[in-house]
Amino acid sequence: MKARVGGLLALLALAGCAGAPPAPHAPDLVAPKIQDHQALPELTAGPIMRSSRPTRVAIPKLHIASGLMDLGKAADGTMQVPPNADVVGWYTGAPTPGALGPAILAGHEDFNGQDGAFADLKDLVPGDQITVNRQDGSLAIFAVTKVEQRAKTAFPTAEVYGPINHAGLRLITCGGEFDSTSGHYKDNVIVFADLVKAG
Amino acid sequence: MRKLLAAGAAIALLLLPTPAYASENVVIKLQDVNRTGAAGTAAITMDDAGNLTVVITATGLAPNLPHPQHLHGSHDAAETHCPAAGDKDGDGFISVEEGVPEYGDVFLSLTTTGDTTFTSALAINRMPKADAHGNLNYRRTIPAADLPPDTAAHLRDLHIVQHGVDANHNGQYDLAGLGESSFARSLGVPNIPEEETDPATCGLPAAAAAANVPTGGVATGDGSGRLNPSTVYLVGGATIVIALLIALTRRRPAK
Repeated sequence: MKARVGGLLALLALAGCAGAPPAPHAPDLVAPKIQDHQALPELTAGPIMRSSRPTRVAIPKLHIASGLMDLGKAADGTMQVPPNADVVGWYTGAPTPGALGPAILAGHEDFNGQDGAFADLKDLVPGDQITVNRQDGSLAIFAVTKVEQRAKTAFPTAEVYGPINHAGLRLITCGGEFDSTSGHYKDNVIVFADLVKAG
Repeated sequence: MRKLLAAGAAIALLLLPTPAYASENVVIKLQDVNRTGAAGTAAITMDDAGNLTVVITATGLAPNLPHPQHLHGSHDAAETHCPAAGDKDGDGFISVEEGVPEYGDVFLSLTTTGDTTFTSALAINRMPKADAHGNLNYRRTIPAADLPPDTAAHLRDLHIVQHGVDANHNGQYDLAGLGESSFARSLGVPNIPEEETDPATCGLPAAAAAANVPTGGVATGDGSGRLNPSTVYLVGGATIVIALLIALTRRRPAK
């Protein structure tokens, strides 16, 4: 018996469950209204680290430890996704993990017949830890604040990518029903986390 | 089969872009210094190519006057702040000398045209003017090549200071208001009114966002964990990209 490999072999980021139409709104980048003219208080909350590129992510509860690759945007404006199942990607169009603002990591639910790095993401609960190693040798430790499953047709763009006054992290994968006609999952699972410790 | 897939993945990794910077957008809240009543917001955004766009919207500034404005901070990670209290000489105004220990040196001069280095810090003719109502709108993109090294790494360590107060409310910067700017004199420029160099607002980062927001959801899964692996994989979306990977494995009768 001999296996023959045929068909097209493609190179770039592969559409797994893509195809969601653009979300209806972009984030509003207006800062909060000025109220206090007397004092000059801290405007941000919680620990904040300097910018440094992430190198690895670990989620002890899910036994995940993965290297990170850079993700940009695809030609259609959606986020690129990793080209294989077990690598997690860092979206370079947003802050680095640990720095002020929302850092974005994406990994597959499944891909090419394998479970993806983020297959069990929906099992996380508030308080679970996520750690990110960074190029400057530091470690950013995040705690999950909420886990959401949203239809891709109603992706919460502002909540995921919009301005925040602390160092945040969002982990994104697919979830919900799989639409075998379109080849896509209908939902995204999004884990929201806050930086709790800079090590 | 596996090897081929792995090779494809490796090539894909190489082809993906690796920008030198994380592009990000920092929202800065401009707060009143010296009881000017001025306030505003600013956004500094660094794109993938490392160009820096600064957008400032301020209100309550001395009307019809130019307002020198700068990104302050330091390259060396020293902590800097907006001056909450620093009026050491008790004249009721925080001067540049009183403020600088708090808010750091000029990192970039936010001029309307031309040079943006610290040498343009007092280039009053190239600074934006407030309108008759004291509103000031500013937008400029400074190319990566004109930025100090490591600007990207320090984006959130910087802050914006706008200068220019009209202490005696006569519609101009004059020596009668607060006298001469000893700061300007120390730089070799005499007879500059202190009104022109005293800070009016100081802005610190209040929030940050993705600078380059993707549309829609994220395609992180192909359902292959749920399909019979002997069936045809039709990976790929209507919308995405260049690429489709269809791996067809067909059995043949043994010969």
